[in-house]
Amino acid sequence: MKYTTFNQHNTDVMAEPMFFGNPVNVARYDQQKHAIFEKLIEKQISFFWRPEEVDVSKDRSDFQGLSDAEKHIFISNLKYQTLLDSIQGRSPNIALLPIVSLPELETWIETWSFYETIHSRSYTHILRNLFTDPSAIFDDIVENEEIKRRAADISKYYDDLIFATQLWQTQGEGTHVVNGETHVVNMRELKKKLFLCMNSVNALEAIRFYVSFACTFAFAERELMEGNSKIIRLIARDENLHLSSTQHILNLWAKGKDDPEMAEIAKECEEEAREIFLNAVQQEKEWAAFLFNNGSMIGLNEEILCQYVEYIANQRMSAIGLGQPFDIASNPLPWMNNYLSSDNVQVAPQESEISSYLVGQIDSEVSEDEFDAFEL
Amino acid sequence: MSQTKQTRSISIANGPSFLSTPDNTLLADLEAQGIAIEYHCREGYCGACRCKLISGEVDYTVDPLAFIDDDEILPCCTVPLSDVELAL
Repeated sequence: MKYTTFNQHNTDVMAEPMFFGNPVNVARYDQQKHAIFEKLIEKQISFFWRPEEVDVSKDRSDFQGLSDAEKHIFISNLKYQTLLDSIQGRSPNIALLPIVSLPELETWIETWSFYETIHSRSYTHILRNLFTDPSAIFDDIVENEEIKRRAADISKYYDDLIFATQLWQTQGEGTHVVNGETHVVNMRELKKKLFLCMNSVNALEAIRFYVSFACTFAFAERELMEGNSKIIRLIARDENLHLSSTQHILNLWAKGKDDPEMAEIAKECEEEAREIFLNAVQQEKEWAAFLFNNGSMIGLNEEILCQYVEYIANQRMSAIGLGQPFDIASNPLPWMNNYLSSDNVQVAPQESEISSYLVGQIDSEVSEDEFDAFEL
Repeated sequence: MSQTKQTRSISIANGPSFLSTPDNTLLADLEAQGIAIEYHCREGYCGACRCKLISGEVDYTVDPLAFIDDDEILPCCTVPLSDVELAL
């Protein structure tokens, strides 16, 4: 079915499925099939923030004081997060917008992706502060084998869905030969690709960020790199919301509250969905090993980080009906939760280093010799 | 006196029982008892504290945005309306 940017047929959005129904026409939010997405949009917009509001200048001297092993951990994590948000800043738009059928979900996808672009911008903000020229760091993201392996795994489900959708929208259902390769395009296959893609995105939002979050907050526990930690806390808050949305989508399908065919596919592909999740868990553990290959940092090591990945995977997998495959009952990094609580994110502007609020009012850095001219 | 101002009995399946404190969320009560429960946002949007409600009734202090199954609740933003039993 050819995509149209404004579907001229009157459709009843209350009868449409989330995806692969009629293209959306009027962006209206007075009636909603799944009101949760409208609520997520409102919540996400209320979280608006800009990286420039967070003063990261003290991080530069903290960074100089880190050991080489710690520098490797810090920079590698930033590279990996840059990769994740590069993918997430565009892919939900490209993969999901052409097939979405509900206005509130369409706008949620756009809002979600937009926030990932704020995250990407914040990595540049952080790196510019640490390095006079951060381009070597960015260039390495497409050179580093560890990062590339993960990139391939994350983008493959998106790319599959995008390609199949393009074939379907230009050629229709059927068997198509493109560059000598045969592709079977039918609605069932498209929906399967969508289901697997959504599971891959869910695993990304659920656990892929958390190894680097843990390292960031472990630095912050030692009062190091606190500007960075403040930014990552804002990012973590957004990611929690994004995860909520993918959990809702997967559960709406599995529980038969949306497209009945997606409920069948959810059952049929449960094993594949589990594999996608477990594979992400395995990759995150390998990432932890890579981070600590030059030595660990105070408060964290590979073993405890792997336990944390398993712990959080249990939580995230049970939320989408995949059970708790790992034998770990308690949180090995209990202090993480303090950084993930929204109470500790939303602070009064005068109490934090929000530069737009402080500009022209006070100097945050006062050196001793500024009092030289003072006489009592 | 509203229902939430009353003290209710909170029992944990295969675990301790205790009395709730008026105006406190279930999560705050559980923490006050030293019962370790996972949480992240404490505002109902992440779902990290999600647990099963075996019996009883609760009321939400905010509109929860996280996915919650029919037999589940989010302790971070609920207060008990009756005696409740939870499975953690």
